[in-house]
Amino acid sequence: MEENILKFSGQNTHGYRVLLVFALLVPLFFLLDLLVGSYYISFPEILKAIFRTENANDQVVLIINQFRIPKAITAILSGAALSVAGLQMQTVFRNPLAGPYILGVSSGASLGVALLVLGTGGLLGGSIVSVASSWGIVAAAWLGSGLILLLIIIISARIKDIMTILILGILISSAISSVVNILQYFSNESMLKSFVVWTMGSLGSVTNVQLAVLFPSVLVGILIAILSSKFLDAFLLGENYARSMGMNILFARMMVFLSTAILAGSVTAFCGPIGFIGIAVPHIARMALQTAKHGLLLPGSILIGALMMLVSDIISQLPGSETTLPVNSVTALLGIPIVIWIIIRNKNTARL
Amino acid sequence: MKTDNQDKIIALTDGSVGYKGKSNTHKVIKSAISVYALKGELVAVIGENGIGKSTLLRTIAGFQPSVGGDFLICGKPISAYREKELALLMSFVSTEIIRVSNLSVFDLVSLGRFPYTNWFGKLLDEDRFLIEEAILAVGLQGYEYRMVNQLSDGERQKVMIARSLAQNTEIIVLDEPTAFLDLSNKYEIVHILHQLAREKEKTILFSTHDLTTAIAEADRLWLMLGDSVVQGAPEDLILNGNFDAIFHSKHLYFDRGKGDFRIRKLTKRDAHVMGEGIALDWTLRALSRNGFKVVPSTDPADITISVNYPEWSVRHLSVETKFNSLLSLCRYLNALER
Repeated sequence: MEENILKFSGQNTHGYRVLLVFALLVPLFFLLDLLVGSYYISFPEILKAIFRTENANDQVVLIINQFRIPKAITAILSGAALSVAGLQMQTVFRNPLAGPYILGVSSGASLGVALLVLGTGGLLGGSIVSVASSWGIVAAAWLGSGLILLLIIIISARIKDIMTILILGILISSAISSVVNILQYFSNESMLKSFVVWTMGSLGSVTNVQLAVLFPSVLVGILIAILSSKFLDAFLLGENYARSMGMNILFARMMVFLSTAILAGSVTAFCGPIGFIGIAVPHIARMALQTAKHGLLLPGSILIGALMMLVSDIISQLPGSETTLPVNSVTALLGIPIVIWIIIRNKNTARL
Repeated sequence: MKTDNQDKIIALTDGSVGYKGKSNTHKVIKSAISVYALKGELVAVIGENGIGKSTLLRTIAGFQPSVGGDFLICGKPISAYREKELALLMSFVSTEIIRVSNLSVFDLVSLGRFPYTNWFGKLLDEDRFLIEEAILAVGLQGYEYRMVNQLSDGERQKVMIARSLAQNTEIIVLDEPTAFLDLSNKYEIVHILHQLAREKEKTILFSTHDLTTAIAEADRLWLMLGDSVVQGAPEDLILNGNFDAIFHSKHLYFDRGKGDFRIRKLTKRDAHVMGEGIALDWTLRALSRNGFKVVPSTDPADITISVNYPEWSVRHLSVETKFNSLLSLCRYLNALER
């Protein structure tokens, strides 16, 4: 009987149940992420600091409010943003190996920032943390990632082979890195210093001021993606089908393009290039939710992406030690096995 | 009898298809196409590879502009329709195999409701009803929650047809829907299309290489020949000899009696054959394949074959040999050759 109701309603109840589980895991790992760090703070003290009770330790309040909470929120934002960007790229390019990092969109963002910082270095040198310069950096990153995304759109209109596009993406990334290196070579010491500070960006380097820029940017990017979820479903069948169903291809592509450039650009602008989240998380979401509908995959990717970045951040703190690993090394080590699995599976079965 | 223009769901007058180049230089693939389709007809588009079947269907589906002539859908030029209007009138099934993992049959078919649902694609009860009905029409009830990438090619093609049914359009255009299918699935798919045209009064246009199924099931053929495009009932086109011109091959000829192409063979020698029934028919086929020409008993021939199923006997130079299969008979006859 229950099966009959399920059949007639056409609802994916399994998907909603999995979403609920992840929705509960994210706040749990958010709290866990607050616990780890080079300075030990006990759980009750953290709660006291969060709720600003009277007997809270001032130093603990400072650490929690100025460092750990911004870092954990950045983890959630960057994980969600990169995953949603990756999901959209995989659907629109119909390529299971597409992602903002692997196809060079993240390095495009780096190029934008490099041109801004090294080009106007003298102006920004000391004030890289101000709100105005934060918006400047994020805008440069959007332009850079948008430019590379446009390039990939043009290439993929001509070349349909997944592996060829992947190789071209890697070549584009290398070319951009070379350009950035050349820019560094020709820039003066103060410019170089502020750029190097930026390249070492990590989740922890995002200040509350920068968060005020990152948060609305990611929100807008995700909102555009959610508004495009019906278009993304139609893209699954390819452009001919989408057009035959009355979709305005150009408009839909613009929506996805805008959202992807904003999401990948914003995260790269403040956290530096973080790889393999964007490519791996959408696959985990598809597997876990057992669906290809973006109405479920988008919230799924947001939650799983946030969770995966929180886990990566916890691992990078090396709990129990005072050393911190670069977070993008951790995401690479977590993500690459998943990518290898996709490539192997792709040889014999589905494309997405 | 004259057909009123009003009845023509699809009407092409002196149409040309091809690609628009820069500064009005067109690459014309096929021109002088004057054909039409009436409401409720199953129309098969037939022609050699590269003759422009796909381009013609893509032009009719509105994916690429025509390069000349009139292309009318329900009396209005295709170019005058907006994408959304066309989507309510015409749905499309491509030859491409859709490989999306974790996409259920129900979800794929529900995409057909795209032009009707709200911004977020929310399905209402009416949408669900039409989706179920479409799944039922192609005989896939019970498959709703199977994943499409775990289906066979034939089942997957049925899902794609169900999706176009859910789009609830008067016209369905299918580009080689049976290209990747095995024989039984080919027949089944074309038969489903035939029934949809009959029962739901849909005008269905499909291209195919499979003459036998097209002749058996289509109401009308658009035959794309080297220098012209002709249309008519399959039987009319067979009788008036248009089929002979489909392939530019010296080795093929169209057998009007059988309604199929045969490979032209050089006959090596003559034979007399005696017998009756199906066994005789198939013996004649086997002889024809092996290059024997059957001549009347009044003409001279040094081989005489008698069919007495399940036994065959051959008299050659007054030696009589018996066989219990056509295989051994043919081996013997071929050995005589050398």
